[in-house]
Amino acid sequence: MLNRRMFGSALMALAVFTAAPSRADATSHAASDHTAGTIVVTDVLDRKVEVPASAKRILLGFYFEDFYAVGGPDAYDQVVAISRDAWEKWRNLQWKAYTACDSRLEGLIDVGEIDAGTFSVEAAIAARPDVAILADWQYSALGDVVDRLAAAHIPVVVIDYNAQTVAKHVASTLLLGQLLGQQDRARALADEYAAAVADVRARVARADAPASKVYLELGNRGPDEFGNTYTGHMWGAMIDLVGGRNIADGQVGKWAPLSAEYVLARNPDVIFVAGSGWLGRDRAVVMGPGIDPALTHARLAPYLGRPGWQDLRAVRQGQVHALYHGGARTLYDYAYLQYMGKVLFPTAFADVDPQATLERFFATYLPIRAEGSYMTRLP
Amino acid sequence: MTTGYRRLVSRRLFVLAGSVLALALATVGDILTGPALLGIWEVVVALFHPSSADSVSVVIIHAIRLPMTCMALLVGAALGLAGSHMQTILGNPLASPYTLGFSAAAGFGAAASILTGVSLPFLPALTIPASALVACLVAAALVYGFSRLRQMSAEVMVLAGIATLFLFQSLQSMAQYLAAPEVLQQIVFWLFGSLTKANWTNVPITAAVVLSGVLILIPDTWRLTALRMGDDRAAAIGVDVSRLRKRVFFVVALLTAGAVAFVGTIGFVGLVAPHIARMLVGEDQRFLQPMSALMGALVMMAASILSKVISPGSVIPIGIVTAVVGVPFLFILIIRGRRRFW
Repeated sequence: MLNRRMFGSALMALAVFTAAPSRADATSHAASDHTAGTIVVTDVLDRKVEVPASAKRILLGFYFEDFYAVGGPDAYDQVVAISRDAWEKWRNLQWKAYTACDSRLEGLIDVGEIDAGTFSVEAAIAARPDVAILADWQYSALGDVVDRLAAAHIPVVVIDYNAQTVAKHVASTLLLGQLLGQQDRARALADEYAAAVADVRARVARADAPASKVYLELGNRGPDEFGNTYTGHMWGAMIDLVGGRNIADGQVGKWAPLSAEYVLARNPDVIFVAGSGWLGRDRAVVMGPGIDPALTHARLAPYLGRPGWQDLRAVRQGQVHALYHGGARTLYDYAYLQYMGKVLFPTAFADVDPQATLERFFATYLPIRAEGSYMTRLP
Repeated sequence: MTTGYRRLVSRRLFVLAGSVLALALATVGDILTGPALLGIWEVVVALFHPSSADSVSVVIIHAIRLPMTCMALLVGAALGLAGSHMQTILGNPLASPYTLGFSAAAGFGAAASILTGVSLPFLPALTIPASALVACLVAAALVYGFSRLRQMSAEVMVLAGIATLFLFQSLQSMAQYLAAPEVLQQIVFWLFGSLTKANWTNVPITAAVVLSGVLILIPDTWRLTALRMGDDRAAAIGVDVSRLRKRVFFVVALLTAGAVAFVGTIGFVGLVAPHIARMLVGEDQRFLQPMSALMGALVMMAASILSKVISPGSVIPIGIVTAVVGVPFLFILIIRGRRRFW
């Protein structure tokens, strides 16, 4: 059924091109970009990929929420397969929230998770996708498996929000817009994102307060062990962007735990702990859709009992915050930039309400509401 | 006693005393190094006069550095001693406390507990160690059960041990396979072995375990020396070889479990420390046992200092560094040694 429709549209496209031979220059231009119902897109790795003009059977590796934001509430009509573990296991609360309002998700084919080595090329090919959209880290982890997808005539388009740069966020969003036939919506989202980040930068530049020392820790291990911290990308890039001095800079490659002694010695002014839906982990900092912030606080409080933490400037001044880990590397992460900016430079961000930004984004672009624990200060 | 023997004993005592001194120096060095870059005087004041010292330095010294140093000493000594026992009862230079699968079992126990993420009631901090310990004892029971069928002969113990090792290694891989990336990273970090989990709750527990492991076998010292001459000769001078193996086996299980439960599988110390010790003092168990423990502790101290120097802020798991420190030292001894040590 779908194939027949695709075949039909291909025929139509062919007819359009052959019917207009007089406009030679236009045709030759179109032919390079627009052959038989396909378009050539340039992905974030500068690869030129020929994809169907309107993809109907997408294999989606990651960035499931951003896909919704660009494609709208029915975006998953155009999806046949996903890397389900990357959603269901990594962001379990999010998965539950979305499956509750979109029954299509449960029925999608699971092609396995690339990082864990459970990715099945056979399942991917058998799903007969007309394009595969993968995150940069998935693409590099796949290695030459990509060639096998190519041999099966499945073009692979790479997008990247993990880099946490405006350029890649914008490029990835516009790519999703092209693939989903939602160019206008994608353009609006990309513009909104770029403007919001520019506003954060401008406010930080205007602020005359000295830069604070920031420590960010992933709250998945509980208080007895130090979790990962980030530099340069993801939360690390976000700390840099909002003008914080990341105490992990120069100590940690991309992510790794800092030593307890080092954290004490650097005496951070602000501590962010990133929480997520690690529901089964009964000491982890739990955050996300449907979570009561009181639970987040209860899980966060024991962190202050670590040796010497009562003397840290951040703890004494009540500057211990929790941020939803699923919120980094998304189209709405500027809400977290605003939150972090407001923590570091309260006056410069006085009229900014990050929680409202988040709620507005969800209400405008996503099928679920931002109800739960996303950004909070430990009282 | 002949003068030659007396001279040999006094030479060995001298080497032993020198090693104690070296260990003491390394321990002081370890307490002095750390990313906070405290001065010597600050450390001394924080150590001996905490009331007049800066509160952060007191916390750094008392709550962070001292427990890590003590844990490193205990774990190094336990693994060194366990390794020496293992090489003795199995009559094999490749044996180490990990040969019989105890470490793989402990790793699986820890991985399973990290994977489920559920904590013990009342004592959440002891969940992973308890789970590692239980798995370790299960592995010991398995190896023991099989070996008993064949009178605890060294060959059967090694075979049963290696089978257990592979069994728990694949279970461990299974747990890793099932884990989400953030959980996987925590499992891998545990398997590397790291001192960062040391605190004043688990150091005394480890100390008690290690101390009892040391004391239990003191009466057997001469029997172990006899065993190195071969099962038949030892039996000829009245040693019940099979019962001795059994006893030593359980002490090794105890020492290994005690060492790895809190800090993870720190490799290589248990293999290299006994060899270094044997090259320095020979086979006489009266010297070999304390020397193996000393060398184990010394390798751990050196590794601990090195890991803090190469990467002050982040934590390089000590298990990665021990081999880097231990291997060159062992090579130097092998190249310079003129005698055959095994």
